[in-house]
Amino acid sequence: MGVSYQAILWNKSKKRYDLWMSLFIILVLAVFVLAQMTLHPSITIETLIIRATAFTAITLLHIILIIGPLCRLDSRFLPLLYNRRHLGVTMFLFALVHGLFCIIQFHTLGDTNPIASVFLSNQNYQEISEFPFQILGFLALVILLLMAATSHDFWLKNLTPRIWKGLHMAVYIAYALVVGHVALGTLQYESKPLYWVMLLGGFVVIAGLQIFTGLREVKRLRSTSEKTKDKFVKVCNFDDIEDSRAKIVTIGSENIAVFRYDGQISAVSNLCRHQLGPLGEGKIVDGCITCPWHGYQYFPHNGQSPPPFNEKLKTYEVNIRGNDVWVDPKPKPPGTFIQPAKLEGSAS
Amino acid sequence: MNSPKSNEFYIGWKDGLPPRTRRLLILFITALFTFSLGITYLVVKNQKPFNNHQFELGNIQEFSGVLVYNPAPMLLTEGGIPETVSDELLLVGYGKRGALGFLQEIEEEHGQLRQRKITLRGTLIHGDGRAVLELTEKAKSLVEADEHEVFNQREISSPQPFQLEGEILDPKCYFGVMKPGEGKIHKSCAIRCISGGIPPVFRSKRSDGTFEYSLMKDTEGQDINQRILPYVAENIEISGQSQMVGDWNVLYVDMDKIRRI
Ligand code: HEM
Ligand code: FES
Repeated sequence: MGVSYQAILWNKSKKRYDLWMSLFIILVLAVFVLAQMTLHPSITIETLIIRATAFTAITLLHIILIIGPLCRLDSRFLPLLYNRRHLGVTMFLFALVHGLFCIIQFHTLGDTNPIASVFLSNQNYQEISEFPFQILGFLALVILLLMAATSHDFWLKNLTPRIWKGLHMAVYIAYALVVGHVALGTLQYESKPLYWVMLLGGFVVIAGLQIFTGLREVKRLRSTSEKTKDKFVKVCNFDDIEDSRAKIVTIGSENIAVFRYDGQISAVSNLCRHQLGPLGEGKIVDGCITCPWHGYQYFPHNGQSPPPFNEKLKTYEVNIRGNDVWVDPKPKPPGTFIQPAKLEGSAS
Repeated sequence: MNSPKSNEFYIGWKDGLPPRTRRLLILFITALFTFSLGITYLVVKNQKPFNNHQFELGNIQEFSGVLVYNPAPMLLTEGGIPETVSDELLLVGYGKRGALGFLQEIEEEHGQLRQRKITLRGTLIHGDGRAVLELTEKAKSLVEADEHEVFNQREISSPQPFQLEGEILDPKCYFGVMKPGEGKIHKSCAIRCISGGIPPVFRSKRSDGTFEYSLMKDTEGQDINQRILPYVAENIEISGQSQMVGDWNVLYVDMDKIRRI
């Protein structure tokens, strides 16, 4: 198992992922460009580039943002999450070409520094319909740049997953800025209400899915601190956990995944050391807890990744009394060995 | 308990797609492709159409005529440009610049050119009855100049009060360089161009639906480029005195009476 464990390298799934992504982008661009040239033959090449790249970027952004909640709705969507970072970086590159072309087209060869001009040309902040929408696009692009620049696992490690994740949550700010950019820019020029339907429709779908799955999550993670005895808290019945799977419990501020495997129980932190993926939604494969997002692995009894990897999870003491599973919510230092709890009567 | 909907478990680095996962993803990807391509087509289909104005990029041509500076730098030609547009070529500089700076450079080298018959090289921009010449080669745009002054006979009407609704445009982009060269999405660029010295043009609608284009000055006949920047590309109402000078209507705008609509 340790040998085949290669989460960071290229593999067949990633190649297949990128292939489908490229096919999608090529088809969208082809339809966009062909339709422009036949329906609006007097379009200039600059406008064509500006609009084609903008449309591709915003389309990819929507897809990126619905993948997360879809995976929470049904774990069979998880392969879409596997290489989402390539989707993100590609989206950024399209947004970058769009932004650069806009700056060149609308702000260079004038009497002011082009970047300064983005901020200084239109200064009508009083009226919503006249608001300087390009500034919103510019700020979104800066956020996307920071995210793309730190997308590599090198940064993930150096910034720590928690800070990295915080930074990458800024994609929602970028999305809000882009919605404002389009609503106060292009939609103040175009006259068909269909564009409002599309923009707001996209927003409703993304926000709706996020809120719906978020609420489900909150319900599930609600603290399960019912019965306490000594330092242990009763979390569930042994039979409530499927074999090779886990139950996620939140006790105080601890987010714990309680795994059942081979008639025994182990508990580790629910947060994957990679990108804080929900380990409790993973599975024991080849004797290792396997993260549902990108397949990082950990031994259930000590929270350590199999060699040559050295990720370590916090572990928790466990206990089975009768048929009930009890967990001590005070975490042990990452990588600490904990004797798995066996169901009484099962062979030792 | 938190049982995932399917008991299948995908490990990206390890194996291919489990069967039920595969089925769902094929369905999803087919739907996504169809939907996205449909949206792509609708986005293009419903776009506001572009005007048919032209920028003859790459085609440097020579035009001869009398150079005047009022109400804006122009070359009063005697034909040689498309029949559907005015013979009065409005001059603009390269990039987002007026022609004045380049013409001054040329005059420093060749002496005063005002009211003289000269030949200029540049790129033609034209549409909706108007023609603009970009001095693409900047201060090297002069081909030749006659020594004698010519007194052109432009008809000049007597000033009359006016009040108009419309939009301030930069004529370089609007008459052909950019699609679209008007409205909100082009606003910053129009501000840049007018700030750089390109003469502002006011577009108003006539009762028959066609457009009227007028040059803009202040009530003293001075340039107002910098003062009207806050109103560029917005729907406004202006008033003052107006006068026909040759083919161009000139608006002497009362700055205190500009009103956003
Ligand atoms: C430096 C940053 C940016 C600038 C200066 C900028 C400028 C503009 C301009 C001038 C337009 C109108 C263009 C036209 O239709 O002729 C536009 C439209 C648009 N922009 Fe941006 N933008 C920037 C960043 C972004 C980013 C990061 C996105 C994210 C995806 C984005 C998405 C769009 C979309 C979807 C449209 C509408 C489609 C269109 O009309 O082309 N922009 N932007
Ligand atoms: S493997 Fe990436 S979050 Fe767990």
